Amino acid sequence: MNLSKIGLIARHEYGINVRRPGFLILTASVPLLGAITLFVATFFSGQAGQILENVFAPGPRVTGVVDHWGKFTPILPDYQDRFVLYPDEATGQAAVEADEIRRLLVIPPDYLETGQVTVITDEGSLGVADLEESSRLHRFFVDHLLRDFPDPLLRERLGDPIDPVIVFLSQEGAPRGTVDMVVSFVVPYFFSILLIMTVFVSSGYLLNSVTEEKTSRVIEIVLSSVTPQELLAGKVMGLGAVGLTQMAVWLASAGGLASGAVGLLGVAIPLLARPEVFVLAVLYYVLGFLVYAVLMGSVGALGADKQEAQQLAGIFSFLAAVPFFVVGVVFTNPDAPILRVLSWFPLTAPTMMMLRLPQAQVPTVDILVSILGLVIAIPLVLWLGGKLFRMGLLMYGKRPSVKEIWHLLRQA
Amino acid sequence: MSELSEQAPAQRAKQRAEQREVVLEVEGLVKRYDSFTAVDRLSFAVHRGEIFGLLGPNGAGKTTTIRIVMDIFKADEGQVRVLGQPPEAVRSRTGYLPEERGLYRDQKVLDVLVYLAELKGTPRSEGRERAMHWLERVGLAEWAGKKVKDLSRGMQQKVQFVASLVHDPDLLILDEPFQGLDPVNVELLKELIWELQAGGKTVVLSAHQMNLVEALCDRIVLINRGRAVLYGPLEEIKREYSPRAVHLRTAAPLDGLPPHVVRAEEQEDGSYLLELGDISPQALLRYLVERDVPVISFDVAQLPLEEIFIRVVQGEGPAGAPAATQEPKGGDDR
Repeated sequence: MNLSKIGLIARHEYGINVRRPGFLILTASVPLLGAITLFVATFFSGQAGQILENVFAPGPRVTGVVDHWGKFTPILPDYQDRFVLYPDEATGQAAVEADEIRRLLVIPPDYLETGQVTVITDEGSLGVADLEESSRLHRFFVDHLLRDFPDPLLRERLGDPIDPVIVFLSQEGAPRGTVDMVVSFVVPYFFSILLIMTVFVSSGYLLNSVTEEKTSRVIEIVLSSVTPQELLAGKVMGLGAVGLTQMAVWLASAGGLASGAVGLLGVAIPLLARPEVFVLAVLYYVLGFLVYAVLMGSVGALGADKQEAQQLAGIFSFLAAVPFFVVGVVFTNPDAPILRVLSWFPLTAPTMMMLRLPQAQVPTVDILVSILGLVIAIPLVLWLGGKLFRMGLLMYGKRPSVKEIWHLLRQA
Repeated sequence: MSELSEQAPAQRAKQRAEQREVVLEVEGLVKRYDSFTAVDRLSFAVHRGEIFGLLGPNGAGKTTTIRIVMDIFKADEGQVRVLGQPPEAVRSRTGYLPEERGLYRDQKVLDVLVYLAELKGTPRSEGRERAMHWLERVGLAEWAGKKVKDLSRGMQQKVQFVASLVHDPDLLILDEPFQGLDPVNVELLKELIWELQAGGKTVVLSAHQMNLVEALCDRIVLINRGRAVLYGPLEEIKREYSPRAVHLRTAAPLDGLPPHVVRAEEQEDGSYLLELGDISPQALLRYLVERDVPVISFDVAQLPLEEIFIRVVQGEGPAGAPAATQEPKGGDDR
């Protein structure tokens, strides 16, 4: 194979596709959408309650209290801006009717035994729906109930009794650190999802390019200048780079946004902690992409149009996602036989190994077999794919049957 | 016809000598699609500097043969040598205008041409220079910066023609280059093909316009059902298929013809069509000269190539003999 021609095709495909309006719009739309979402989320998380209150329950924000029990008198200084004491129900109710206060809490003398509190309000159901769950009201009651409690720490704990810290045990029984846990969950998902997303994104461009050359008939000139394998390899490289560019823009934009930055940090820290996982994940990512892209490009060439090409190529997206169906087994038994078999099969190996690697000490034989399988599979699929690609591209307007594909492979 | 086509005999003789070098050699080529044999033991050779016609009815196997020569298809049997090497080794020295035409529609004309030249191994700057040169030659220089889709069908066809030769190939294969072109552009293309020939290039031409093939080609191979049914220099083939008749124009009324002239038919323009029996045109001319007949013009009548094509494809040989009995002529004199 002529590497300079592959490079030329890759550069051409990259240069053409990154300038397409469709690419620019799609690439820009994700960060834009993220920014809008973040803006809206930030705005609403801080102020939504306030806005809703103002929209649906306008008026005073003060709650009146009639304290027949006695422990709420006087109201603690922290709550005096929101809670006001009234001597009796009649005065308090008059204040509610005059819109001076929002609602009136009547605390009976037997409150300690029953826990019952009467709420007098002229609001609709929306205004009282969350009364019981309101953290502000909860703290108001707890702080007043414990106002005479001497130990401020114990008082604090009674108000917020549990902040769980979970320790997971590894297979050897030793506790695993937080970083290790993040490695286990975030890294495999990050890379395997990135792989599938890149395969989807790049294969979309690949199929577009293949069907365009096929339908515009320019393919015959191109095939008189380069071998189908060179053309396919060049397209995979160039359009893979287009897909990676898009993913890089999306990830960088996610990094630029507050929530995305936290997510990326969650990936970066464990990567530094487990470099061997990172190196292997990158290796599987590259090998996996090459296998899937070559297969999708060559099979897609058999389609009469883009839609048909996508249908044909879809099978490989499905194969890439198969390991996710057994993800439960990955977390419970990373060396289960089914997982080992899927690790050896080149079309499921990349995703499967990326999921397994951070979970446990994967047997070296599995790593070697999977990498060897992929290294052998890539030139093989390129060679076979090149044959299909050559014949598929020259079959204008029709899709061959399975029998014809077999004949094509034999004849090409 | 241009000056290029009216070369001095000495120049043509020199060219013929150069033409002995075989540029394309097809030997016993076979290509099957399941039970259907598209190309069946096809052999022919093309010499340097000639315009060679690859002819045949639809489905005869021409495009399959061309695709094998261009290394787009692989042959089941037989051998192809291009410029003395296997086709895959000389991709950069061959140019191809396929019958199924197309270009990158959303790209600029010049960019497409430069890219295709680069694929053939031409450096970018040189490709750009040559592309502009050829665009000027076909009258499309001002369209270089436009997108292909903005060009008319005829313009796109000319750009495609340029694409096939922008890398300066030694062997140019043109599959139906005149299809869809108006008469002005047909003339332009003819001139360019002659110009390429004069520059030492070899052209293999597949076309259905027999008048153009007659005007352009030195030698032809006619393929039918995958087999060569006619092969050789066009002049020889036409002589072979001559109807044994002459066109004669005289300054005086015609009388006293030899008995070997079977029939004399006066044409609308005042000339005569003489059907010859057991006498050659040379003997007849000598006979007329000896008798001081005032001959103005004397032409050996020939069948147009189109008629020969139809006869051969329909199974008739020269002078009515079945073509199936006719072996292809050993036109390459190897």
